[in-house]
Amino acid sequence: MKISLNWLKKYVNVTVSDQELVRLIGARLVEVEGVIDETHKYDKIYVVKVLEANKIPETHLTLCKIDCGETEPVQVVCGAPNVRVGMLAVWIAPGAVVPASVNEDAPFVIGKRKMQGYESCGMLAGADELDFGDDHSGIVEIDPEMAKPGDLLADIFELNDLIFEIENKSLTHRPDTFGMIGFAREVAGILGEKFSFISSSRAIGANSATVALRNTPRLKENFFSKTQSKIQISIADDKICPRYSAIVLEKHGEIKKKYLTWMDTILSKSGMRPVDPIVDTTNYLMLLTGQPLHAFDYDKFVAAGGSGKPKIIIRLAKQGEKLVLLDGKEIELNENDIVICSNDTPVALAGAMGGLSTAIDENTRNIILESATFSLYNLRKTQMAHGIFSEAITRFTKGQPPYQTLAVAEDFAGLLSDGFVMTSMVDNYPKPEKENVVKITTEEINRLLGTNYDDSLIIQTLENVGFEVKNKRSDLTIKAPLWRMDIHIKEDIIEEIGRLLGYDNILPTLPLHATSNTNKMLSLKTNIRSIMKSFGANELLTYSFISERLLKKAGLDEKNSYKIVNSISPDLQFVRQTIVPSLLEKAYVNQKIPFDKFAIYEMNKVYQKSWGMDAEEVPVEKMRLGFVLAERKNPGAAYYKAKYYLEKLFGEICIKADYLSIKNKTPETLPFEVKRAAEVWVGERMIGVLGEFKNSVRHNFKLGEYLAGFELDLDALLELGGTKKIDDGFEVCEKIDETVTTSKTYGETLAEIEKKYQGARITPVGIYQPEGATTKNITFHIEK
Amino acid sequence: MEELEELKSELKKLNAEYAKIREVPVEKRGEFGRELNAKKTAILEKMRQAEESALDVAVVPLDISAPCNVNEALPELYSTLQGSAHPLMTELDRVVSIYQMMGFDVMESRQLDDEFHMFDSLNFAKEHPARDGYDTFRTEEGLIPPAHTSTMQHRVLKAYRDKLVRGEEIAVVVPGRVYRNEDVDATHEHTFYQCEGVYVSRDCNMGQMLGILREFFEKYYEQKLNIRTQPGYFPFTEPSLEFLIEKPKMLGGKKGDYLEMLGCGMIHPNVLKMAGIDPTTYHGFAWGGGIDRLVMLRYGLKDVRNFESGNLNFLKEF
Repeated sequence: MKISLNWLKKYVNVTVSDQELVRLIGARLVEVEGVIDETHKYDKIYVVKVLEANKIPETHLTLCKIDCGETEPVQVVCGAPNVRVGMLAVWIAPGAVVPASVNEDAPFVIGKRKMQGYESCGMLAGADELDFGDDHSGIVEIDPEMAKPGDLLADIFELNDLIFEIENKSLTHRPDTFGMIGFAREVAGILGEKFSFISSSRAIGANSATVALRNTPRLKENFFSKTQSKIQISIADDKICPRYSAIVLEKHGEIKKKYLTWMDTILSKSGMRPVDPIVDTTNYLMLLTGQPLHAFDYDKFVAAGGSGKPKIIIRLAKQGEKLVLLDGKEIELNENDIVICSNDTPVALAGAMGGLSTAIDENTRNIILESATFSLYNLRKTQMAHGIFSEAITRFTKGQPPYQTLAVAEDFAGLLSDGFVMTSMVDNYPKPEKENVVKITTEEINRLLGTNYDDSLIIQTLENVGFEVKNKRSDLTIKAPLWRMDIHIKEDIIEEIGRLLGYDNILPTLPLHATSNTNKMLSLKTNIRSIMKSFGANELLTYSFISERLLKKAGLDEKNSYKIVNSISPDLQFVRQTIVPSLLEKAYVNQKIPFDKFAIYEMNKVYQKSWGMDAEEVPVEKMRLGFVLAERKNPGAAYYKAKYYLEKLFGEICIKADYLSIKNKTPETLPFEVKRAAEVWVGERMIGVLGEFKNSVRHNFKLGEYLAGFELDLDALLELGGTKKIDDGFEVCEKIDETVTTSKTYGETLAEIEKKYQGARITPVGIYQPEGATTKNITFHIEK
Repeated sequence: MEELEELKSELKKLNAEYAKIREVPVEKRGEFGRELNAKKTAILEKMRQAEESALDVAVVPLDISAPCNVNEALPELYSTLQGSAHPLMTELDRVVSIYQMMGFDVMESRQLDDEFHMFDSLNFAKEHPARDGYDTFRTEEGLIPPAHTSTMQHRVLKAYRDKLVRGEEIAVVVPGRVYRNEDVDATHEHTFYQCEGVYVSRDCNMGQMLGILREFFEKYYEQKLNIRTQPGYFPFTEPSLEFLIEKPKMLGGKKGDYLEMLGCGMIHPNVLKMAGIDPTTYHGFAWGGGIDRLVMLRYGLKDVRNFESGNLNFLKEF
């Protein structure tokens, strides 16, 4: 949304600098994302009078002499067909930049040049060159009642302006601020001024010479009764259309558009393009009030319905119905779309776009003007389904309040009264909005904000933006204005006060409270993090979502993974069941870089469908530590290095584990090679798996032979682990090395040695097997 | 190996079957083709499995109880110099420990949650546009990888509400991983970290919220800071704010240069009510902000994608 500061200032007495205004709007309403400086966009562009206009033979050009307010006339060559003696035109003087080109990389600077042998000084400008729409059919003409030769164009139309850019999304909850009146009301409130505004059609008299103040031909009261109306309105369901107002206008004269108007400049500054008087008026009123309007050709509308009697039906579309829109595209409607029908024939996609069959054109004699509100939920879906993103639907999808439909329709009639007269008016408003009344005390307001605002300041602040406040001292009964359908509870009022008076005026204080408890899992992870770093391992974070391919590569069944239905890509379709496969993928990435040897690990949450739901009916989740080490040129067995990492880690967190052959087939153990891997047990509990991977898995991940890892259940570690134990009372009396020749496993042999040297410290020295031997020599170092 | 040969000949036979399609009546050809394709897929999958198990057959077993392999040296750890901790995790630890010093308990956020905790319990109206605004992922079951750590607010309130009865306050922060369905570029990630804060007491107010947040950022950046707010909108807080700080000196900040750090506000009475806390007696405030951005600012990082890249060139710097 673009907000012209000059336009804003017509409704608010801005008492602060422009820079401060931007800051205040940002702090108290919505962030101003950008400020477009147009204060020099129309420099050296003047209103001039054409004194002479002579056709240059055999060209389409005209040689003109113009009065630009100086004593000497200036010579300009003009290519436009509508140039004529006596008209007031707009002259871009030499040295000026063509306004439409200011944002281009190389703005076009007008100079003096020769055309067909004639010197041309500057140029007479068309609407497109002045950045007021796309009209290139001729040069712009200025109303002689507004200006005289030599006047700066910028002064006449207040073009030295700042344009505020507001992100629509940031105001989603405030539909009322999507019109200048609503925005200005907020700004007034922020500046502590009372906002007052009577009728939107009167507001246009800003520069009253442009558009004369017109009196809406007021209709008599009985005109509201439907029986006397020319048209009937039927709303199928007030949920899809809370209110539908329409007026009928009949042509009684020509609205010939001759002069550039202030409305043209406002539309342009607000990011819209002037098209023709009827469309421009609907757009202008939408920018002013936030209420979108749509004009139908009355006669075409009646013809489309087939019965001769005008009847407007608002209903949901039926599956299979089709509609040709204004832009000529035929769309297939769905059951969520709201359609406007003439009798039962859809003629417009409500809130989004009119239909081609009822479009107004130069022959239009009678108009039906629609001013209505529709369900924002339906329109949001319509917007997505048909890809329509207009200024109108943007406003409708914020939920425009229904209070002003009729008034804005009347304003339309007022603005077009030169060419049309209003002949009837119909309003269907099945369930008028209830008034929102909130009772609150000023103590409650101050208590939640932490402020000391006095009663009168609070009341004044609310009244400034249209709230009605009745009070008995500090007990307030507050009636929200009709455009604030979002005010329901005390907190809504507190927000208004906090915001309008500035959150930055609230004094920050610190509450005192008790000391905190530690989160043991977090402490364990922090501890592991520092241990693993000192062990030369690298912590990774990888995505929680992985591909079906990755699961398959690790030998896992994707059916045990929760599947994301709206994933960004197939690579991110499944919730991972374990950590290790993600690390294997990253091991490959890092070997390619190339890193020759590394140990990587990640601590994160995993989910498996087979675990089911917990007491809260959400999936059981487990915190895991996954670890993978890989080397490129090592012929040894990686199992033992991974085991060493695990044992060292267990030593630090006081865990004594047993390593047993793999018996359990689970997603954790599946990638591991049973002959070269082990289940990790503490007492009766399996807490993880350790070892080398299946050749097939290794192969799938394109990794070399020296590869091993482990996956641990951190919840188990938390329960079983403790603080590192150091026996500082141990005294070494004797140190011996003992070698055992055996065909038993290391574990069995160690058990025998431990039995033999009870209470001693036993560490391994090496395992040696001579070539061809069937037994091996295991050497232990014993301290006792 | 024998099995593989058998499968190969089976596949050959099957391929020959395809030629018979000409003899099948036109209307049945589709079905015929589908059946053959299904068979073929099954055979190919069996072949893949056979090839895989062939790879795994020749494996030499290890003594899993041993500390090292026969005739190999005892293993060693890699050099400490090679080690690193993930910057997001160390920074999250730092963030959490500051809040802990200020008296906040810590509860980690879930990574897979449901509609109730993500939206309903946070006062999102059923059809409210804000539900779409969060660009949430969903699983086939309708579960949600949370788009914000606020998904834990209801749990925090329920788990700690007894403290209120005892005259104490609820003060909890919730760090966690969150997800949004958006395109990834240098400043956007679909996976990122947030930290939520929840505070409820009998007499808490907005001034205290601003005080806590300023205190946190001053501790975090180890200097006095100017703060600023902007109105915001969240269904679960009323009033709602965006919280900004003046860019700290350590980040090369200049005067008047403000950074949006988080969204915050007074907890909506409906959110308290749903968690069984009487909103007429107790009030609360809550906030939530991204961790990735804090870390990027702190280290001057330009590409958020590095965090989940697993690339050691990047990670070894930390």
